[in-house]
Amino acid sequence: MRNAAIGKFIQRFKNKEAFLFLVFLLLFALMSVISPGRFLTWRNLQSMASQFPEFGIFAIAMMVVVVSGGINLSITFTAALASIVGGILLSRMSAAGIAPALVLLAAIPTMLVVALACGALNGLVIASIGVAPMLATLGTMTLFEGICLNITKGGSIAGFPDAFLWFGAGSILGLPFPLILFIVVAVASYFIMERSAFGLKAYMIGCNPTVSAYSGINVKKVLYGVYLFSGLLCALAGLLMSSRYNSAKESYGSSYLMLGISAAVLGGTDIAGGYGKVVGTVIAVMILQVISTGLNIFGVNRYIINVIMGGILILVLGLNLIGSRGKKTS
Amino acid sequence: MYGQPRLVDYDDEESVAVVRRERKGMNSNAFLQMSKVSKTFPGVKALDTISLEVERGEIHALIGENGAGKSTLIKILSGVNQPDEGAEIYIEGKKIETMTPLESLRRGIVVIYQDFSLFPNTSVAENIAITTDIENFTPVLSWRRIRKNARAALERLGIDIDIDVPLGELSVAKQQLVAIARALTYDAKLLIMDEPTSALSKGEVELLFKVMRNLKESGISILFVSHKLDELFAISDRFSVLRDGKYLGTFGEDELDDDRLISLMVGRKIEYTVYPKRTCTDKVLEVRNFNKIGNFKDISFVVNRGEILGITGLVGAGRTEVLKAIYGISRQDSGQLILDGKEITISSAQDAVRHGIAYMPENRLREGLVLRKSMADNIAITVTDRLVDRIGLLDRGKIKDLVEEWIRKLNIKPAIAGMLATKLSGGNQQRVVLAKWLALNPRILLVDEPTNGIDVGAKADIHKLLRDLAEGGISIIMVSSELPEILAIADRIIVMRRGKISGEFDGATATQEEIMNKAILGVKQQVAS
Amino acid sequence: MKLKLRQNREFGILAILVVVSAIIGLNSSVFFTVENLFDILKSNVVLGMLALGMLLVILTGGIDVSVGSMIAAVTVIVGQFMKHYTGNVALALLVGCAAGTILGAVNGILIAKMKIPPIVVTLGTLSILMGLTLYLTNGTWITGIPDSFIAFGRQTIGSFYRQGDDMIGFPVQFFFLAFAALLTWFILKFTLFGRGIYAIGGNRVSAERVGYNIDRITIFLYAFEGFIIGMAGVVHTSIMRQVDPNAFNGFEMQVIAAVVLGGASTLGGYGSVFGTLLGVALFTVINNGLILMHIPTFWQKIVVGIVLIGSIGVDVAQKRYWENRTTKVDIEEA
Repeated sequence: MRNAAIGKFIQRFKNKEAFLFLVFLLLFALMSVISPGRFLTWRNLQSMASQFPEFGIFAIAMMVVVVSGGINLSITFTAALASIVGGILLSRMSAAGIAPALVLLAAIPTMLVVALACGALNGLVIASIGVAPMLATLGTMTLFEGICLNITKGGSIAGFPDAFLWFGAGSILGLPFPLILFIVVAVASYFIMERSAFGLKAYMIGCNPTVSAYSGINVKKVLYGVYLFSGLLCALAGLLMSSRYNSAKESYGSSYLMLGISAAVLGGTDIAGGYGKVVGTVIAVMILQVISTGLNIFGVNRYIINVIMGGILILVLGLNLIGSRGKKTS
Repeated sequence: MYGQPRLVDYDDEESVAVVRRERKGMNSNAFLQMSKVSKTFPGVKALDTISLEVERGEIHALIGENGAGKSTLIKILSGVNQPDEGAEIYIEGKKIETMTPLESLRRGIVVIYQDFSLFPNTSVAENIAITTDIENFTPVLSWRRIRKNARAALERLGIDIDIDVPLGELSVAKQQLVAIARALTYDAKLLIMDEPTSALSKGEVELLFKVMRNLKESGISILFVSHKLDELFAISDRFSVLRDGKYLGTFGEDELDDDRLISLMVGRKIEYTVYPKRTCTDKVLEVRNFNKIGNFKDISFVVNRGEILGITGLVGAGRTEVLKAIYGISRQDSGQLILDGKEITISSAQDAVRHGIAYMPENRLREGLVLRKSMADNIAITVTDRLVDRIGLLDRGKIKDLVEEWIRKLNIKPAIAGMLATKLSGGNQQRVVLAKWLALNPRILLVDEPTNGIDVGAKADIHKLLRDLAEGGISIIMVSSELPEILAIADRIIVMRRGKISGEFDGATATQEEIMNKAILGVKQQVAS
Repeated sequence: MKLKLRQNREFGILAILVVVSAIIGLNSSVFFTVENLFDILKSNVVLGMLALGMLLVILTGGIDVSVGSMIAAVTVIVGQFMKHYTGNVALALLVGCAAGTILGAVNGILIAKMKIPPIVVTLGTLSILMGLTLYLTNGTWITGIPDSFIAFGRQTIGSFYRQGDDMIGFPVQFFFLAFAALLTWFILKFTLFGRGIYAIGGNRVSAERVGYNIDRITIFLYAFEGFIIGMAGVVHTSIMRQVDPNAFNGFEMQVIAAVVLGGASTLGGYGSVFGTLLGVALFTVINNGLILMHIPTFWQKIVVGIVLIGSIGVDVAQKRYWENRTTKVDIEEA
């Protein structure tokens, strides 16, 4: 049967991540060949390298929650809220003439704290009260958006000190800071999720919460940890975004919700929980970024690019279904 | 539909005797006739050439212990599973080649599952009577007709329930009656009920029996599975006994008394190695006056160091509930837990683990193991604090050592740490669960049906393991429905019946009959009162 | 068919509606004027219709976050159609409803056949539809709707209120809402499709056992939701007289909040047309009240968020209460 054959084909690449990397290389090569003058330029590569980190961080923020058996629909508005509150500090303190270093020292931890509070709220509703993650984060997402709008009245917060731009545009030893931050986040996430006791517990809970509870795992504590961690990552993504745009607005990054889920799923994360590798998500992010940038360079209308990205999500989920059916019949 | 119901006054001995005499002389028009029915699952023969015959208008009880094959038989009758080759099944004289769920329904066989398959959010009337509309693809529903049909079904049962109330508001007993009413709309000729009285109070059972008698009078047969002998004697016309997948016979009420029945059910040679029993006196854990409404009452017992305390009784006696309360995954309403002379409170599995108590659940596939994860992950999950290095990351070397140690100690096959739990055999799965808990070095091990679904050879191995652990100083509380198993390895035995402790025995001297007696209760006295 | 439990809930919402209306009325003299009330009515017909469609989805325990982009897509399609072809209302309705039904059916097929969680599927279709809509319009508004259609949109039925020199009655759009409400009510109460929806929401396993075709019902219900969205799109265009592809960004959250406010349980199985209409009314009144009392509209989103979290919390609490009611073992007496 066709389905079994496709399933077997995907299975043959025992290492799914290797397969994904292959796909990435192919796409990269394809884009370079079709339009070397515009794709393979240093400028374009740098531009991609400063864009995909925030995407990648959002994707990991989504992945860690999905792995534990949930979903976090509030990632983009957590980031927005954190950067808006931080942004207010940045602009007001800056206008008051306070030294940039102190301004940053005040604003950035504030962003982290706000995002952690958002994560804690998610944890409270999901772990303590027991609401399903999808519904809970649907509610918190709307709540956070509302708070954002209430603060900004629909406008954007600007007037950041110049020093703040460094996070989005600066570089260390030739590598853009966003990229460095992303690498740090990815590596840290790998160790936290795939190599630590906490991570093991999170995966187990995602697979079977009952057995996990019976085995003596403090499920509440782990879930809180997962949502707090997710929130923290959102703060970092928000930091990068607001630095690049030099302003904070509640609509920034809204497309990353769907893209984050797409990347997680494409990267091998099981939407039901229990499985997922950081490296897979990272490569999936790179694949989606290459597609998006490539299409952009070829002049494809940005709206059509959204359509295609949406289509990819559904396509990937469909392929997963065929793949799992193929496994069953073989 | 089946003619005028015959009025029989069940409180009048004379009238009852008349009916019995008449029935005995009746042409034995059987509704269902089964013979040579076997069912083999990989590794275990659930049914071995059994026969069964149910007459029209008869209340027929199916008796057997846990694992005797009752559920398998029901699944075959309802078409969910297929019997092995050579089975002969006749319904109303016609032979059935292949029984599918649809075919079974069409023939009038309706199973009332323990969860009733009802909808809590819709009305009683809809739950009962919408079945015909679903079958006929009615384009526009007539609520007048649905309500009329629902009322008619309830009348046939002789009960009165408000049909406009949402089903979820009814008590469990009433919901069950609604399920039976719905079965009537399927034109049921044989009603199969699995442990129908397990959630009912005495009064509710009486009502159910009244309904069942009404059904019987209108010619409907009822096959029901139960272990409550006193109730069975009160309502059934005949009983069929299963044991270990074998059919032992069908008996009328006067042909069977308590003792005969009990020995039929349990009288088997103990196939297991019987271990010498020890008398342990070093008290480790004391359970005092545990109570939980609807589950157990006045539970008090003691567990000594290094002993195996067996808790037995029939299904539904409350044994698992007691274990779960001790382990903290459910809460008792009142009672104390005393460990090493000090009172402790356990309100979660974590608390229990911290005190050195481990729990192997009855349902190892859903509650004991994470099937989609590897053996290594499953074993390591309880002791992660011991497996981390200085930074807090899992040390792969330590995990490997741990898993290999237990593979060796418990003889887990295949010896591949990365093997998915779902691919292991039942016996090896149980060993992995055991390993996960032993890795913690527990002082007390709570085990619920340790050899459930495991083949005989592997059972013996697990018995040996448990005895070795006990000799090593671990106290084990073991719940089991398998009397030979309890008699083989338990040092002391507690029998529970209907939520209370009904007897205590010394493991060395107890007999199956004695235990069964305490598990069931002198039925004759019950019926007479 | 009377179900006492549900009736209590709905009367509770009605009571809240009355109280809130009273509070607003006391604080603003404009609230209880016929003009204001008709205004509210007219501008929230669309919310009402979308809420009816969403009710069906939520009854089965699902969710649909693509409704905003779906109605935007329909308005664009209908707008373009009318601009280039004809302002004939009947044809516009045909085109709109057909488009909506097809889009809805696609959602339904993906959810039923591919077993993807509804939240993920509808997030995907949201992106796709929004992208397509913006692409076709390039983000700009569509104007030039034929006058005949606009005149239709201004019609009122009946005449009992004096406005200037004319006697007017209910805005015509109201009757579309009434039609959608009656149709939905009829389907839910008198068809197997409707009862199947309640069954799936009540106990999915039992629904399958009893013989409901879950896949077919799922596809049907998303298609029906699409049908109503299509109608709503035409109605919206008749009010606004032009098409703004961005008009419904984020609208889905309001729709969900209105449905949930109307007593539907997010866990599925509980909810009614009457309750949903009450929920829409309550939501609408709250919003209108905020405007009249000069409270910034950004509070609206916060209100939505709190309503959602609050209702979900209530649903979970209720579920826990019902679960604790079952007894397990009958304890021997004496």
